[in-house]
Amino acid sequence: MEEILFDTKIQWARIKKIFPILDNEISATPFSKNEFEDLCNIVKTNQIEIILQDIIMNKTEKLLRDKIAPEFWSYFKNHSAENKKFDLFFNAVKSVYNNYKELCNIMSRLELLRKEVNIVEVPYNELTVHDSLRLILRATLFSQLHVDYQTLVIEFYELVLRMEDREESNTPCLICEVEPYCNCFHLFEETNRKLGEMSLLEPLVGQALTDLSYHYIYAHIQKNSKDNYESFIVPLEKWLHSVVINWLKKIYSHDSYVPLSEYMEMFEKKLVNYLYNAYTKIRIDQLFNIVIEYPESLPALEDIRICLPRTDLKPMLTKKLQKAMETRLLHPGVSTTDILTAYVATIRSLRVLDPSGLLLETVTQPIHQYLRSREDTVRCVVSSLTEEGPNDLAEELNRGEPVDENAPVDDEDENWETWVPDPVDALPCKQSPKETNPSRRNADIISMLVNIYGSKELFVNEYRTLLADRLLSQYTCDTEKEIRYLELLKLRFGDSHLHFCEVMLKDIADSKRINQRIKEDAEYLESDIPLSTMIVSQQFWPPFKDEKLELHHTVVDQMKQFTARFETLKGSRTLCWKSHLGVVNLDIELNDRTVNLSVSPIQATILLHFQDRNVWELEELSKVILCPATVLRRKIGFWLSHGILVETKPDVFCVQEKVEHKAAPQEDFYVEEFESESAMASAKDQKEEELQNIWSYILGPTTECGQSELKAFLDRKVRERQLIFANGLYKLPK
Amino acid sequence: MKVTVKNWTTVASWKWVANDDNCGICRMPFDGCCPDCKLPGDDCPLSQPVNQQCPMCRQEWKFNNK
Repeated sequence: MEEILFDTKIQWARIKKIFPILDNEISATPFSKNEFEDLCNIVKTNQIEIILQDIIMNKTEKLLRDKIAPEFWSYFKNHSAENKKFDLFFNAVKSVYNNYKELCNIMSRLELLRKEVNIVEVPYNELTVHDSLRLILRATLFSQLHVDYQTLVIEFYELVLRMEDREESNTPCLICEVEPYCNCFHLFEETNRKLGEMSLLEPLVGQALTDLSYHYIYAHIQKNSKDNYESFIVPLEKWLHSVVINWLKKIYSHDSYVPLSEYMEMFEKKLVNYLYNAYTKIRIDQLFNIVIEYPESLPALEDIRICLPRTDLKPMLTKKLQKAMETRLLHPGVSTTDILTAYVATIRSLRVLDPSGLLLETVTQPIHQYLRSREDTVRCVVSSLTEEGPNDLAEELNRGEPVDENAPVDDEDENWETWVPDPVDALPCKQSPKETNPSRRNADIISMLVNIYGSKELFVNEYRTLLADRLLSQYTCDTEKEIRYLELLKLRFGDSHLHFCEVMLKDIADSKRINQRIKEDAEYLESDIPLSTMIVSQQFWPPFKDEKLELHHTVVDQMKQFTARFETLKGSRTLCWKSHLGVVNLDIELNDRTVNLSVSPIQATILLHFQDRNVWELEELSKVILCPATVLRRKIGFWLSHGILVETKPDVFCVQEKVEHKAAPQEDFYVEEFESESAMASAKDQKEEELQNIWSYILGPTTECGQSELKAFLDRKVRERQLIFANGLYKLPK
Repeated sequence: MKVTVKNWTTVASWKWVANDDNCGICRMPFDGCCPDCKLPGDDCPLSQPVNQQCPMCRQEWKFNNK
């Protein structure tokens, strides 16, 4: 019994000689052939093949679990130390690799034994025991995974990637920061080789590599495309291949367990896709700026156009651009002209992105809505249409072909091969597609602006007011430019809408002729007031501001003469003077100075009265020229500021012949000054106000008293002959 | 003080010498265009001394003040 026990002990010692791992000893000493044969005999006689193999595997697992894996991860734990992150990972891999090598050695021995004693089973159903070892190694390592291990891995690889990305190669190595040609790269290669051999490359660092590539690509695009609207798609793809993919290839070439080309192809697809996505996203974030910078940003737009179908980011683009518009453009801090400029840029640039116009329609919806809420939009559009100088809208007007909306669109046949259908998300329109699509595709910028309001009338009316203002404020007969714009506008809006404006311009031209005719008339005596009159056809001009003003008698006389001449010239017609409108050029001679000024008629009238009499009281003058005292005071203020009149006592003014202190008037005397008030706009306001007042009168009787009461009251008015009742209508008697 | 008016530009509107602003029949303003013409005033056929008939009674068209 004891002998057997003794015998077993010896046999066990022999087994342990070849498999020291049974004693938790990892490094094995060489053995002789005899020893091995001995071992085989022992195993065979005792029939412990499977048991032995299991024990060995078990011990290996234990060793890995208790020693090797903790040792490997211990490198990651103290990675917060600043220095040599590169070395840390290198050493970690080195340590695990050395252990792995030892274990491999044991596995080789096991393999030998297996052959000798014909063990068929392989642990964990792998192909070879080495495979089993790697499986166990992987499993054990990951079972003790360090939470933060990716950081170190990423840092390790990033250093090399950054080195790859450098343009010149002879700058100091980023890893050891010493020499341009150092050993670091070999260390890197070695690490990868080791990881590859242990088939740990993809499991351990694969995810980190993907993350790193993504981050790196994103950062690269962002760095390059910031405030730079060149086209990047081609250089980026090139860069991706030459740097990132090259770098990945270098790493994965060591992974002997996956077919390189196949794997790289997959990885490449993934990266290119990511590149497009990332680039498009970055561009979408910048899209507002890109739109504003149009046409400088055209290459960037082209890029987005290429990327969009590959990335499926269109909904995001629409949403982000709309959002950007709302936060950056559509708020009270932005002037209407700026919004319009941006709007025009948007139209132009989105045309590039999406020729079908659908995107444009969606994105500009909020702009339309906002512009509709701004009061001065129409005015801005109209004035920029007819403005001098570089201006998008004016250019558009000059260039633009009129869009005939009624023209049938039959060019579809011509280019049916290049025809692109509307995107699937196009809104189904109420009208038939034949009618809507062309307008969406072709509508030009001005039509789009006009369509904000849905009608041309509003624009035409605004133009009329603007034109009237310009004609009357300039008081010149130079209408050539205006005629040109009118013709251009006629092309766009049609003759009938601009008929009024045509008459206005003709009035100006006619006035010039009539003035000349009357001045040549022998019976017309040109006194000291040379008149030039704009004779307008009132029905065609916007309503003028209505003000009462009694002009100085000399002027009135002159006007009477003019009227008389006009009446003889044009039978059956007479003139109604708008005495408060116009501009007067005056020379004022005082004791010590002469002043030349352009002023409004009321100011001229005031001064003419002061010429007759040096001192006037406010009330008195107000009665003479039929102007409310408050208004008059303001007008006199103009002369006070010029130092021509002074207020000697409250409400008493007199001429200041001599300026005692030169300091009194601030400005240069010879400054042409003229209050350029609109003769039209405020007229509009006044009317609005009047109507508002009337409203209460209209509303009052109909709501406050009953219908029969009201009828009785109105009937009484009829009896008193203050109203006329006819055909069921109450009217005012003539 | 002596004020010399170098130029007095002013605005006036012309109108037909008639008793009313609007036509008694169609309620259109006299100063506008008649349906036959585009420009009011001189070019309007009504201002030309040719034979015209009153649209109501077909009598000869005469101006008030003549």
